[in-house]
Amino acid sequence: MKKIIAMLLALVMVLALCACGETAPAAPKTEEPAAEAPAAEAPAAEAPAEEAPAAEAPAEEAPADSEGKVLNIYAWNEEFKGFFEKYYTVPEGVTVNWIITPSDNGAYQQKLDEALLNQATAADDEKVDMFLAEADYIQKYVDSDYTQDITAMGVTDFSNTYKYTVQAASDANGVVKGVSFQCCPSALIYRRSIAKDVLGTEDPAEVQALLNSWDKFNAVAADAKAKGYLMTGSFAETYRVFSNNCTMPWVDENNNLQFDPQIEAWIDQTEEFVKNGYTLTAGVWDQEKNDQMFADGKVMCFFGPAWYFNFCMGNAMDPEKGCSGDWAICEGPAAHFWGGTWLLAPAGTDNASLVADIMNTFINNEEVCSKLVSEEAQFSNNMAVNAKFAEDPNYGSEFLGGQNDVAVFSAMTDNIVWQNHTVYDQLLNEGLQNNLREYFQGTVDKETALANFYKYINETYPAIVTP
Amino acid sequence: MNENRKMRRRGVSYAKWGYIFILPFFVSYIIFTLTPQIMTIYNSFFENYRNGLTQVGPNFVGLKNYVKLFTPDKSGTVDVLKYFGNTVLLWVMGAVPQILVALLLAVFFTSYRLNLKGQQFFKTVIYMPNLIMASAFSMLFFTLFSPVGPVNQVLLAAGWADKAIDFLSLKVPVRVLISLMNFLMWFGNTTILLMAGIQGIDQNMFEAAEIDGASSLQVFFRVTLPLLAPILVYTVITAMIGGLQMFDVPQILTNGKGTPDRASMTLVMYLNNYLQTSKNYGMAGAVSVVLFLVSSVLSLFVYNTLSRQYKEAPRKRDRI
Repeated sequence: MKKIIAMLLALVMVLALCACGETAPAAPKTEEPAAEAPAAEAPAAEAPAEEAPAAEAPAEEAPADSEGKVLNIYAWNEEFKGFFEKYYTVPEGVTVNWIITPSDNGAYQQKLDEALLNQATAADDEKVDMFLAEADYIQKYVDSDYTQDITAMGVTDFSNTYKYTVQAASDANGVVKGVSFQCCPSALIYRRSIAKDVLGTEDPAEVQALLNSWDKFNAVAADAKAKGYLMTGSFAETYRVFSNNCTMPWVDENNNLQFDPQIEAWIDQTEEFVKNGYTLTAGVWDQEKNDQMFADGKVMCFFGPAWYFNFCMGNAMDPEKGCSGDWAICEGPAAHFWGGTWLLAPAGTDNASLVADIMNTFINNEEVCSKLVSEEAQFSNNMAVNAKFAEDPNYGSEFLGGQNDVAVFSAMTDNIVWQNHTVYDQLLNEGLQNNLREYFQGTVDKETALANFYKYINETYPAIVTP
Repeated sequence: MNENRKMRRRGVSYAKWGYIFILPFFVSYIIFTLTPQIMTIYNSFFENYRNGLTQVGPNFVGLKNYVKLFTPDKSGTVDVLKYFGNTVLLWVMGAVPQILVALLLAVFFTSYRLNLKGQQFFKTVIYMPNLIMASAFSMLFFTLFSPVGPVNQVLLAAGWADKAIDFLSLKVPVRVLISLMNFLMWFGNTTILLMAGIQGIDQNMFEAAEIDGASSLQVFFRVTLPLLAPILVYTVITAMIGGLQMFDVPQILTNGKGTPDRASMTLVMYLNNYLQTSKNYGMAGAVSVVLFLVSSVLSLFVYNTLSRQYKEAPRKRDRI
C-alpha cells in the first residue's frame, strides 16, 4: 500500500513538472479572453439603463456588433495613442489594447513580426487589428501577405491625401494597405536669435536664401563656429537630408549592399563637421543633443518635420529653461521628408470596419484633421485642411514665433518623392550611424568602422551580400 | 554513496525509492536542458533564418556555419575568437578581485579572534547589489557615466576635464565599468559561499595551528586554503561558467552594440545578435556549440588543476 502511495506521489510530482512546462505558454491565451470578457460586457450591461441611445447605437454601429470586442493596436511610441484617445470615440463595448514596444535596435519590428506570424492561429481577441509603421520599414509589411487591401475594407477616398503617403502604403501592384495620419516634409528648424547673430537675419525667406545649398550650409557652419555656436547638435543631424535624396536603394536586385553618393557625401560632411567642431558626436536622440534645445543651447540648426518639433523638442518648450518662440523653419539645403506614421491593416483582423473607420477619420474627417493642425501642431494628411490653415492670416505657430508652418510645409510637399526604399532601411540607417559614430569620435579608423557595419549587416540580414 | 551502501546492507532494497525520488530532476533535466542542448547542436548544421517576414530554410548545410564562424575577416581577425577573448578578459578583470576580496572578507567574518560586530548587517549590505537586477544596475551606470551624467558634471565642475568625456566610447573605461559592475554584483554572493566553506572546517584545526605558533598568514595559507579547496573549486567553476555566459551587463551598458569597436562584445551578445532580427538559428546554434565546448574544456581544466592538491591531501596524510 505504502509503495503504491509513494509511487503515485512520485508520478504526480513528475506529471506536475511536465504539465507546468507545457501549459505555461498556453495559459495566458485561455485566461485573457476570460478576464477581458467581463470588462467588455460591463458597458453592455449598463446600456439598457439608457434605453434610447442603446436603441440608436446598433443602427449606427451595426458592423461593430458582429465584430470583435477587443482592438489590439501595435505601436512604437505614444504619439498616435494620444491623438487616438483625444479625437476618436471608440464604439461602446470595444476595449482598445495598446501594445507599445520601442523601435530601437529593431525591437518593435521583432515584436510585431512575432504577432503577425502567429496571426492565423491566434484567438480573435489576440489578433493584431491595426499596427503602426514608419517610412523606414513600411515596405516590409506592405509587400507581404500580412497586410490587406484597405479599399476593400471601406477606405477609398484618397483625393485629399498626399500622393507619396499613398505610394508608401501601396504594394508593387498598387494595392493600398494603409494610410498615414500625417505628412512629413522635413524642414530646417533654426534658432532665430542665433541666426540673427550669425547670418544677420532671422527672416525665414532670407535664412533660406543663405542656406539653400550644402556649400552655403557648410560655409555658414564655419561662421557659426567663429561666433561660438554649433551648426548642428548631432553627427547624424543631416543624415536624413542626404539619405532621402539617394538615387539608389540600399541593396541592388541581387541583394548586394551599395553605397549611394549621397551617403558618401554625408560621411564627408560629418567628418569635416566633427573635425572642425561644428557639431557634437551625440546621436540624434541623445540627451546631450536635446539639452542644446534649451535657451542656453548653442546649436543653430535642427532638421525635422512637424512631428519633430512638437513631439521631440520638449526641452525647447520648457516654460523655464526653454526658448519657445525663438524658432523658425525653412526648407534648408535639400528637400526631404522624415518618417511618418502609417496605420496599416493586418490580414485577419476581426475589427475590419472599425479599423477602416479609424483610418477614414484620421485622413478625411475635416474636424479631426483641423484639430490635429490647430491643437497638436501636426501637418495633417489632408490637403484641403492644410490649405485652409496655410491661407489663414490669423494662423501661426506660437513655438515658431508666429510663423505659419503649415504654409511652409505645404509648399514643400511637391518635392517629396517616394523612391529607393527597401525593407532593410531602418536597421541599415541605424547601423551605419552607430558604427560610423565610432569613426567620427576617433575610436577607430574609417575602414574598421565600415567593417563593423558589414559585420552588423551579416548578423542582422544574412541575405544581404556585403563587400 | 555511503548511504546507499548502508541501505543495501539492511537486506531490504530501498534503493529504487531513491531513484524514484530523484526521477523528477532527471525528467525535467531531459526535457528542459538536454533536449534543447541536442536541438541546438542539430540546428547548427542548418541554414535557418528569417529575411524580413520570409523564412529561409531550414536547409542542411553540414559544417558551413562553423566554417563561416572561423573564417577570418579582411583584417585577419576571427570574430568569434575576438569575442571569446573579450569575454575572458572581462571575466578575469572582474573575477580575480571578486574572489580575492571575497576570500578576505570570508576570513574576517569567520575569524573567532576578530569576532566582528554587526556581521549580519555587513553580510546583508555586501549581498545587496546582487538583489538589483543586472539591467537596472547597468542602466544606473549608463546614466552615471553618460556625457551629460553626474560623473561628467562633477569632472567639469571641479575643472578636471575641459569638456564632457564620452566614457562609453572608450575601450578601457567600458571594460573597467563592466568588470566593476560584475565584481560589485557578485562578490557578496562569493563571500557567503566561502564563509559557509570556512565554517565547515573544524575550528580545532585553527586553534591547534595557533597553539603550534602559526601566524595568521600561515594559518590562512596552510590550513584555511587547502581545506577550503573543494568550495573554492566550485566557486571558481561556477563563476567561470557564469563569466563565459556574460551578457546582461555589457548588453545594457553598450545598448547591445559592444562598443567601442566591438571590444566589449561577449560571446553571448554575439549569439544574441544572430537571434534578434534574423532569427538565425543556424549561426546562433554554431556559436552556442562552440561556447559549450569551451566551457566544458575550461571547467575540466580548472577542476583538475585546483583540486589536485585537494585530492592528493589524504595521501600525504597517510604517509605521516
